Amino acid sequence: MTEVGASRRSQPGHRGEQKKGFFGGIWLFISQVIDEMRKVVTPTRSELLQYTVVVIVFVALIMAIVSALDFGFTKLVFWVFAG
Amino acid sequence: MLSSFGQAFRTPDLRKKLLFTLGIIILFRMGSVIPTPGVSYAAVQACLAGAPEDANSFLGLANLFSGGALLQLSIFALGIMPYITASIIVQLLTVVIPRFETLKKEGQQGQTKLTQYTRYLTIGLAVLQASTLITFARNPENLFGPQCTNILYRDDVATIVIMVLTMTAGTGLVMWLGELITDKGVGNGMSLLIFTSIAATFPSSLWTIRQQQGWGTFAFVIAMGLVIIAIVVFVEQSQRRIPVQYAKRMVGRRMYGGTSTYIPLKVNMANVIPIIFASSLISLPMMASQFRRSPTGDNPSWVDWVDRYLVRGDHPVYMAIYVTLILFFTFFYVSITFEPDEVADNMKKYGGFIPGIRAGRPTAEYLRYVLNRITVVGAIYLALVSLIPLVALSLFGANQNFPFGGTSILIMVGVGLETVKQIESQLQQHKYEGFLR
Repeated sequence: MTEVGASRRSQPGHRGEQKKGFFGGIWLFISQVIDEMRKVVTPTRSELLQYTVVVIVFVALIMAIVSALDFGFTKLVFWVFAG
Repeated sequence: MLSSFGQAFRTPDLRKKLLFTLGIIILFRMGSVIPTPGVSYAAVQACLAGAPEDANSFLGLANLFSGGALLQLSIFALGIMPYITASIIVQLLTVVIPRFETLKKEGQQGQTKLTQYTRYLTIGLAVLQASTLITFARNPENLFGPQCTNILYRDDVATIVIMVLTMTAGTGLVMWLGELITDKGVGNGMSLLIFTSIAATFPSSLWTIRQQQGWGTFAFVIAMGLVIIAIVVFVEQSQRRIPVQYAKRMVGRRMYGGTSTYIPLKVNMANVIPIIFASSLISLPMMASQFRRSPTGDNPSWVDWVDRYLVRGDHPVYMAIYVTLILFFTFFYVSITFEPDEVADNMKKYGGFIPGIRAGRPTAEYLRYVLNRITVVGAIYLALVSLIPLVALSLFGANQNFPFGGTSILIMVGVGLETVKQIESQLQQHKYEGFLR
């Protein structure tokens, strides 16, 4: 979070705009990508854990609800149409 | 933390939204088991039970996305798929057709018009897919295997027309349900309905793995699922924050602005949409070939080609096409949802600027520059995560029973995270603690 300061900024116009052929262009692009990725803020360990647990609980909850629903409806429809 | 699930239910209007969403999910699941008129429910069930293991995997993804409704020939057999396909087509057309482009730029009103076109197209696609599915249901050997000879009570023209109409109407209804969720419930309706469908078939396909491969593979699949969930959460929460400074200004006697904030650019801005688009697009030729398969074995050559390359998830050609589609749709979707020019314009209007960069066009260019470079990583991440399970599962030989593992896990976690965060932000509006703090 602290590395987001305005101090390290890449400016598209200023750095290496001159083309060094096809591979030079690709290399420049890759280094720019890496440069930008360094400035990405990632979640902290506890944040990650909390989100993960919440998502797992949520998904499991929906799965349980839907499975129960399906079980009930299948029985019902079977009773109506084939029982 | 988990007690805030309960807290969400204690907030009156949030409870209303949650219950509304749940009610629609119940309706959706109910429609997925009610058989279409003219179809013998008992015969379909007998055929499903007697179908050989690999028969179902041909229509695998389509069946997965409809929550098993497709093979049951229920009134919601087509599920939300035609709607997804229609919205992909309309969004692609906004780039190609000038009239669509002007509509999109018109703002609210043009968007309404585009939504209207999407709905018409959905109905058109639904008629098309319903009639192919019904044609197919008249010769159910292709669908379920040779032991299955007849699943219809009658197959005169009137009955067929009624069946096509019913399925088309079902698709229309599903589309409406999805839009209702987006409007009055929580989360995005389209993704939530797919999520529900996948959640419906997921436990049984997990259990099939357990039965056929034993506890070892089962535990491995579960562990892999957990790791993937953690990875997905990690990347979804990563963002590049672009600092924005607001100029102080006097309006009347009061001072406004002077604050510094940031624009959050998520590494994966497109979320699960590219995965949904890519996998529904790649399943189209599979479906088409299924409908053209002749029982005698002399198929058209393109059907054989599709069979060889596009049906099995572990074939390199399949993987290559899938990855290409995902990469394409990630960039495409990001470019149509985030408009640097608009953001830069708005910032200029309210006296905001990125320190060191001039307002207006240079700001838009800078945003585009950062966005493009971040999205490269986001797109590669999406492609890799959707491939890992395919590769790992084929190593374990479990691929046949679990054909779209990566896709389904990614969609479930992505939609789950999105929905939970939306509930969370609505909770925070009520000054409650929320799930995540």
